[in-house]
Amino acid sequence: MCEKVEVKEEKTRFDGVKVEVLGPTYEPGKPAGQEEGSWRRKLHDREEMLKYLKTGERYWYSGDWYGSERRKNPA
Amino acid sequence: MAENTDRSVCPATVQLLGKAQQEGVSTAFFRADQVKPCPIGADGSCCRNCAMGPCRVLLPRGKSDLEVEVTGVCGATTDTISARNFLRMIAAGAAAHSDHGRAVAETLIAAAKGEAPGYSVKDEYKLMKLALDFGIEVGDRPIEDIAVDVGRAALAQFSQQEGELAFIKKAPLKRQEIWHKLGVVPRGIDREVVEALHRTHMGVDQDAESLLMHGMRVALADGWGGSMIGTELQDVLFGTPQPILGQVNPGVLKPDHVNVIVHGHEPLLSEMMVMAAEDPEMLALARAKGAQGINVAGICCTANEILMRHGIPIAGNFLQQELAIVTGVVDAMVVDVQCIMQSLPKVAQCYHTRIITTSNRAHIPGATHIEFHEHDALNAARAIVRAAIEAFPHRTGRVEVPAHQVDFVAGFSHETIDYLLGGMFRASYRPLNDNIINGRIRGVAGVVGCNNPRVEHDAVHVAMVKELIKNDVLVLQTGCSAIACAKAGLLTPEAAGQHAGGGLAEVCETVGLPPVIHMGSCVDNSRILMAATAMVKEGGLGDDISDLPAAGAAPEWMSEKAISIGQYFVASGVFTVFGVTWPTTGSEKFTRMLFEGLEEKVKARWAYEPDPIKAARCMIEHIDARRKALGIDKARERVLYDMAMRRELEAL
Repeated sequence: MCEKVEVKEEKTRFDGVKVEVLGPTYEPGKPAGQEEGSWRRKLHDREEMLKYLKTGERYWYSGDWYGSERRKNPA
Repeated sequence: MAENTDRSVCPATVQLLGKAQQEGVSTAFFRADQVKPCPIGADGSCCRNCAMGPCRVLLPRGKSDLEVEVTGVCGATTDTISARNFLRMIAAGAAAHSDHGRAVAETLIAAAKGEAPGYSVKDEYKLMKLALDFGIEVGDRPIEDIAVDVGRAALAQFSQQEGELAFIKKAPLKRQEIWHKLGVVPRGIDREVVEALHRTHMGVDQDAESLLMHGMRVALADGWGGSMIGTELQDVLFGTPQPILGQVNPGVLKPDHVNVIVHGHEPLLSEMMVMAAEDPEMLALARAKGAQGINVAGICCTANEILMRHGIPIAGNFLQQELAIVTGVVDAMVVDVQCIMQSLPKVAQCYHTRIITTSNRAHIPGATHIEFHEHDALNAARAIVRAAIEAFPHRTGRVEVPAHQVDFVAGFSHETIDYLLGGMFRASYRPLNDNIINGRIRGVAGVVGCNNPRVEHDAVHVAMVKELIKNDVLVLQTGCSAIACAKAGLLTPEAAGQHAGGGLAEVCETVGLPPVIHMGSCVDNSRILMAATAMVKEGGLGDDISDLPAAGAAPEWMSEKAISIGQYFVASGVFTVFGVTWPTTGSEKFTRMLFEGLEEKVKARWAYEPDPIKAARCMIEHIDARRKALGIDKARERVLYDMAMRRELEAL
């Protein structure tokens, strides 16, 4: 069962009415640990890297995708 | 004489300027009052390319070169002389960036061969990417072999005599078509720089347009060549930047620590400095001298490089290099190349600071030279840290570290933006393009470049960027400009709510991005080219960079590199505005060519506007014009296509 969230804050609704909404539930602070946000760690081996390159960076490395450049008469 | 409060919007700078004045220390701010700019040189009207001159091709007051012809001894006209000077600036800027890239390529090869202890391939993913760019086989080959091949392929780009630079292929197809048509695709980096010097030698190229066309070729060799090689290979060696929390301003200096400042542009040595400063032996030595530890901080672009990869704090930007020493707590300032003032040893004489030069390309009288070689980098770094520790007990004078320190987030590489917007499953610029199309984001601006004491320090950068984000323009930054805005608190996600327009703030809040994105050092302007290309290739915003609702600016520029960067932005299709001064005003004909004529050739042009608000509005006007051309300037009815309509579309 979830703990009761105590933090509330007042905000202005689109129609100007003041409403009370749930406030942030995270602990205030600064991010620590550089590696925690490192998405590269999700790519374990060379095969995964190449696969990600060909999908994530498909503009340059995938033969079947040219975005807005995909047209009948290429430039 | 100006008051210090009029010299900078940065309170730490104002405070330290007061201290410098009290202690009789000369800084660039005060020297700018004494040394007025040469009015002939400022207009680009002085030709000193041979011994028949120097020729001052001054036009009669109130006349332009469209009405009157004034020539040098050889007959060179004002527009030829202006174009030659402009091309030489581009060549020097491109040479600086390219030499930087070359040093990185050489270090990568040495590291892969095991000849550069301390260096290794930190980002295999990026190495794979470069292997694909250069057509190098990956397979199951050892990483070191691939790295050597990538390094050699990159190095070959400098001396290549024929063909095209490899990274040119990454540009939008339509842009490549424009370059081919104009014949400005660079063959090899060194070749284009050398040809620029040849063309501008006495009696060679005497046509302003021809000189300008080669200027484009040289600049493209910088942006899509030398700079891009520098950026990409540094990512391989040191890791591709990811968002990281940093601190900025002289307040990052610690009075009870040994403070070492790394300043310049190449992170090759400073990476090792970070390691040396963490060495237990060095820390023990520092403590033995009475210090609590060793604090490394950066100035200028070296600072941006090591901040993005290690979170090392930034003590300031270009105009703060002398003032950092004025704090009295800098024990050593280590400099490599570019943007280093020759005054540093003189300022350091007033204190105990050791100025240490490290590159065989950059010696300064009065500085200690500890040469850095990649095969012995860690030992050089240790020698430098040791020198700083030895200096620590000799601190003289009054110590004053301004209590100004600002948090900010840096490290937004193209890859990170791709990931942040789309995630692992579908890395993509789609959300950015969609929000530009739906109007929440009006457009994108690259605001980059140096500081210049001829204008109020940081003020122009900050005012321009605030005006842009207020009008829902997402700002991408590099170099000293990024440091200026970081100090103003614009590089945090919270800044979106405080300074950005409603649409931009909404997107930033959703994605968790600041409204001003720090993409690195000035060599990393190539990342902005990559981001712009990714936006084009994602679709929906035209099929060329010149179609994007985007603009560029360097409002406080001072270096030749800035002109080279500006020219490659324009040649790549970005409308680009410069502030402070404009170096071709002596020739109306050539200036018109840059400000008007280029539009016809490359669908982009230069502009000059020293007022930051007016310049920002000029950029917004351009962005709005591009939105109109794309048909995204007003809300449109949503049409749900049925199969018949789709077939009709396919048949087009």
